[in-house]
Amino acid sequence: MSAGQNAVLGLELARFRYAGASRDTLSGISLSLAPGSLTVVLGDSGSGKSTLGAVLAGMLPRHDGDALDATLHLAGQEIRHRPGAAVRIDPVGWARQVGLLPQDARHFLSGVRATVAEELALGLENAGVPRAQMRRRIAALADQLELHELLQRDPAKLSGGQERLVALAALGLDAPAVLVLDEPLAGLDSPAAARIWELLDRLRGGGTALVLLARALDRLAAGADTVLALREGSCHAMDTALPTSAAPVAPAARRAPGAELLLGFSGVGIGYPGSAGPVVQGLDLKVRAGECVGLAGPNGSGKTTVLKAAAGLLRPGAGQVHGSSLAAGTVGLLLQNPSDQLFERTVAREVAFGLPKRGPEVARIPAVLASLGLDGHAQAHPYELPASARRIVALATVLVREPGVLLLDEPTEALDADGLARLHAALAAVLDRGGAVLLATHDEAFMAATAHRVHRMGPAVPAGTGPVAPGRVGEL
Amino acid sequence: MPRTCQLHPFTVLALAAAVTATTTAAGRWWLSVAVLLACLLLAAWARRARRLAGLAAAILAPAWGSQLLIHGMADTAGGHVLAAAGPLRITAEGLATAGALGLRTGVLVAAGLLCTLLIDRHELIAAVDLSPAPPQLGYLLAATLFLLPALERRQRAIGQAQSLRGATPGGGPRGWFRRVRLRSVPLVLGALQDAADRSAHLAARGFPAAGPHTRLREVQDSAAQRRVRRIALACTVLGPVAVLAPSWMGAA
Repeated sequence: MSAGQNAVLGLELARFRYAGASRDTLSGISLSLAPGSLTVVLGDSGSGKSTLGAVLAGMLPRHDGDALDATLHLAGQEIRHRPGAAVRIDPVGWARQVGLLPQDARHFLSGVRATVAEELALGLENAGVPRAQMRRRIAALADQLELHELLQRDPAKLSGGQERLVALAALGLDAPAVLVLDEPLAGLDSPAAARIWELLDRLRGGGTALVLLARALDRLAAGADTVLALREGSCHAMDTALPTSAAPVAPAARRAPGAELLLGFSGVGIGYPGSAGPVVQGLDLKVRAGECVGLAGPNGSGKTTVLKAAAGLLRPGAGQVHGSSLAAGTVGLLLQNPSDQLFERTVAREVAFGLPKRGPEVARIPAVLASLGLDGHAQAHPYELPASARRIVALATVLVREPGVLLLDEPTEALDADGLARLHAALAAVLDRGGAVLLATHDEAFMAATAHRVHRMGPAVPAGTGPVAPGRVGEL
Repeated sequence: MPRTCQLHPFTVLALAAAVTATTTAAGRWWLSVAVLLACLLLAAWARRARRLAGLAAAILAPAWGSQLLIHGMADTAGGHVLAAAGPLRITAEGLATAGALGLRTGVLVAAGLLCTLLIDRHELIAAVDLSPAPPQLGYLLAATLFLLPALERRQRAIGQAQSLRGATPGGGPRGWFRRVRLRSVPLVLGALQDAADRSAHLAARGFPAAGPHTRLREVQDSAAQRRVRRIALACTVLGPVAVLAPSWMGAA
């Protein structure tokens, strides 16, 4: 594709290489984005999707040795980057034309505003938009995305899905001509995903060109004008037809009747200091040996809170968390954001962290790394790995302890096909040796393919306003 | 729940500056004690008296200790010697000087800390952003005021992740040192990585603003408060002059 005459953004990229890297991350990419178009770029973790997104958003190359050989056409201007002679970009001017939602939405949020409403307004404030106009635009957006409950919340206390929703809303508010979205629906519950899709549809109808960076074709890709596959940094055209996915096969139940109770919640209520009410209330749930239980519910319904309580990180205000695995201290938790769980300078040291030096766990490290496909990365820094591999490293740090109950918080976020296969294998191994899995996810396909039953958590509603108490619902 | 002051942040700061400048210039022990008590009462109103006392003690204990050592225990000028042994010479005048300086330092510290407890930091940043000050000042203030809470959140997350992996530092001073050793490197590396990841997006969102900018947040102000601020600023400058002028004229 060559840059069309009416394109809002055109890219002719010969190659891009990070400073100090031994090979090009991107090469031979040609993109032309017409107003209102939808372009989907598919690629596994490490294929260069996020790098391409950053180039489109003007955040790369950095002026410390990155080499970009490319020509961009944006807002009637031609920008020629040459290795060693990168053009200095005005980030604000560029962002008015091209907005980027990063893979980790936390990086988009400023961290210096008291409420979600102020966070949404940050870009408008810095552009000098009058207060009354900001209020109108935020109110209209909140109506559309049903954000009213979030507007006065502290952005630092949002769930992962809510952070993504707020970041997307802020981008929608700034309304640039091009939106580059890196995994926009990861971690969002179905209603929130539907609202986001509605917003994107409206923006597209208004002439905004959308670029979706994704790992697999999903319903967001339906109606895409162009689908490109990114492999080892190069783009290849693909058929835009969605694959006919077979209905997920429910996993075979491994649980024997009367199996040991590994983890149980009895009338559990959990709240945070300073919060208006409990996040979870009246939770009754039992997880027995050999079974995989899914936790489902809207963003902010307390799924992560339940997992943290099961891992002993939070103490319930009411009720009891019990079970033989808890008593034996063999509960392992994979956090939603792997960066929170990684703090050593090599993968091998990371997995060995906290293990008794002469314990049997240390001897298991090579086997765990090999089973997760990490043996080639043992001496790499975890932060230098692609997002999918980073999550698998975090999983390795949990699996090396052979947990009786494996707790997983949004485990498929940022996982590519290989990572997903490794995760499935790890889950099967835990269940096969008589363990159990409790997982929270918005990935319905993954839930259907792994969970033997699903516990649905209700939205956190104030007491007395509805029939459903927070965190209390039935099992399917 | 702690209370925060409903006054405009600049009003609180101007009053604190006026009181501190005048009290320091006056150098009267009873005035310093009265100001310290007033600070404590205001902190009690804000339900932060214990916090003020704790923070003030942490800052003042070493400061008072050094003043006592320099002026109180090694005084060479005073005539009323209370005790002497080798290089140590405790005099009544030295102790009085150490006490006076200690009280002035106490006023400065207590008033400053009280401002941090009474003023909502979001209000302060919004007030700076809405003032004619350069936008970079609001940016610097925000970066400074939110760095510590962000680090606190991150070190808590690191602590949780480490406790999941059996790294429990334990209690007491040894536990404290072990905790610092375990958390400091990932905390600093994580903070640097986080800053690098966020900076490009902050710049893209125009933060800090390069030109005219607005704020969604309104900071309550009034004509009366503006008058109070003008008077307080005048007192900050003229108060010390009025207090010190007679002694200057006497010396001349």
